[in-house]
Amino acid sequence: MSNESFVSIRNLTKEYPMGETKVVALDEVSLEIPPRSFTVVMGPSGSGKSTLLYLIGGLDWPTSGSIQVADDEVEKMDENSLAEYRRNRVGFIFQSFNLIASMPAEENVAFPLRFSGIPKAERRSRSREILTHVGLGDRIRHRPTELSGGQQQRVAIARALINDPPLILADEPTGNLDSHSGFAIMQLLSDLHREGKTVIVVTHDPRMLQFATNTIYLLDGRVVSEESYKLATESMAQAAVEKGGTL
Amino acid sequence: MRFSDLISLIFYNLGRRKGRVLLTAVGVMIGTAAVVVLVSLAVGLQKNATQQLWGISDLTSIEVYPGYQEVAVEAAGSGGKFDGGSSNMLTPSAIEKIAAIPGVKKVVIHDYLQTALEINYGKLQSYSSVVGVNVTDLADLGLEVTQGTTELLKGTAIIGSWIPQNFYNPKARPDDPPVEPPDLVGQTLKFVMIKWAEDGTEIRRTVNVKIVGLLKETRGMADGNIYMQLDETNTYNDWARGKRIDRNKEGYSMLIVKAENPDVVLDVADEINNLGYMANTPQSYLEGINSFFMVLQIIFGGVGAIALLVAAIGIANTMTMSILERTREIGLMKAIGATNKDVLSIFLGEAAGIGFVGGLGGVILGWGASVVLNVVALAYFASQASSGGGSLPTAATSTPFWLPIFALVFATVIGLLSGFYPALRAATLVPVNALKYE
Repeated sequence: MSNESFVSIRNLTKEYPMGETKVVALDEVSLEIPPRSFTVVMGPSGSGKSTLLYLIGGLDWPTSGSIQVADDEVEKMDENSLAEYRRNRVGFIFQSFNLIASMPAEENVAFPLRFSGIPKAERRSRSREILTHVGLGDRIRHRPTELSGGQQQRVAIARALINDPPLILADEPTGNLDSHSGFAIMQLLSDLHREGKTVIVVTHDPRMLQFATNTIYLLDGRVVSEESYKLATESMAQAAVEKGGTL
Repeated sequence: MRFSDLISLIFYNLGRRKGRVLLTAVGVMIGTAAVVVLVSLAVGLQKNATQQLWGISDLTSIEVYPGYQEVAVEAAGSGGKFDGGSSNMLTPSAIEKIAAIPGVKKVVIHDYLQTALEINYGKLQSYSSVVGVNVTDLADLGLEVTQGTTELLKGTAIIGSWIPQNFYNPKARPDDPPVEPPDLVGQTLKFVMIKWAEDGTEIRRTVNVKIVGLLKETRGMADGNIYMQLDETNTYNDWARGKRIDRNKEGYSMLIVKAENPDVVLDVADEINNLGYMANTPQSYLEGINSFFMVLQIIFGGVGAIALLVAAIGIANTMTMSILERTREIGLMKAIGATNKDVLSIFLGEAAGIGFVGGLGGVILGWGASVVLNVVALAYFASQASSGGGSLPTAATSTPFWLPIFALVFATVIGLLSGFYPALRAATLVPVNALKYE
């Protein structure tokens, strides 16, 4: 690991079998993400940006290449170490929140602590503290169905923070939200960055860029420069207009 | 993950799908109840059979016969020596040895009258076996009378319950009605003993014997016996032989050994067999009956187990459905740090939980049904007995204490086993695929 990198990725390739052929989601990707940075990964759908996030988070296995997060060599870990890595060193935030509908907010937030063997009383006090921190101190006993989309995503963020991981991974965190609550979530993620977390957000919402300290552009499974990314997306938009479509 | 957290999470998850869990558990409940009821019924039948047997024969008695050892007959070519003297006769010293075995309460000699005997009562005649015993009260043998007394004095006899039916009229014509069994208690019978001198002439000796008691039916050996004092049969046997019989050499026909209680009977019988005599006890029949009922219990239990097997398939189905529905949740659990073992434990636990809940219901239902069946069956038996007579069964079903515990554990294990494959599938899902599952 170089001194400036928190996440260091080398020649990362991920292929999926699709029938008889293979789909290359990531093609020899190498990149460095500095510690305490706010990294935004931009790319159209199918560019491999979510795959990159899941590989960093240890939720999938690469076909080849290496992923180093702080001192962990993620691609070399066995099942149990991966579980421990996901529990303590990464906090994951999903587009669709993935809350358990029957559990009140505080239990959803405290859910990861069950797998760490933390007693109920401590689980409760820690989850309440974090829910208050994300602005939901008055919603701790509400079930997800009794909360707005923005509030549900806050609960999910609180759950990602419960074990105080240094790395926060967010996969389209504003994708299911209206623009107002989406922006509030962006601000919350930015706050986490200011509090010292390394944040990686996968999105195609350009408003996220104003919070970024670091931006990565992905096209067809490869990292590209901002210029080539813009050229490509503009020509794609142009092609769509010429075909009679709308943007 | 802490065990208490695991258990609370399992029951929390089961509670989220109450309707389906309950429907699946009902299957287990029926299977478990079937096992409990059927095995209770088999145990009840066994208890009845044992008690009935207890009623008809005295389980503390052991019949002991001389031990006739296998005689070694060598091939004729090698000089053919026949050694018939190695049998273990029931001599007075043998009786002492047997009486000294721990658990033996009393040893009663039974010696048969070994002459040809004709018993005459008026015009009626009978041939029955006469046995001499060395007790003065047949109550010592556990026998009871329906008429007269059990006290046996010199010159008297007590007859078994079937003896009166053995009398017939030797001069009856074929179209005469059959003889009514005579009421013999208080009557004097003529016992005509017959032996033959060396030249073939018949020698008869007639004695008058007063019948003082008629025994209650035992459905055993005593029913066909006429009991007399041993001293008297000894005298007659000596007369028949023409000399005094050396009991130290020939011993007696048989012994009845009374044990202190039914629990030691088999041990005492074994000990007697080890001494080289032949011991027979009703308890050895009981062992046979018990093993028959063991088989019956297994068959009945097996029928219930088939119902449980069907329920097990229901659990496997429910768990498979549940895992399909909760695939994203499994992905989430893994994303927030659950190990494969955690996921496996949760889903195995849920399957076992369905088994446990169903088993608990089944034990209660089965136990209740056994109690109801008991009441109904006893009422039925009572109505039958009032018209037919005979002894009443005390219970139709009997639930041994181990049965509910066993049934509950069994149902839980069935649940655990049927959940194994679905749970394993859940545990080994790739998190990202599970999270993206629609």
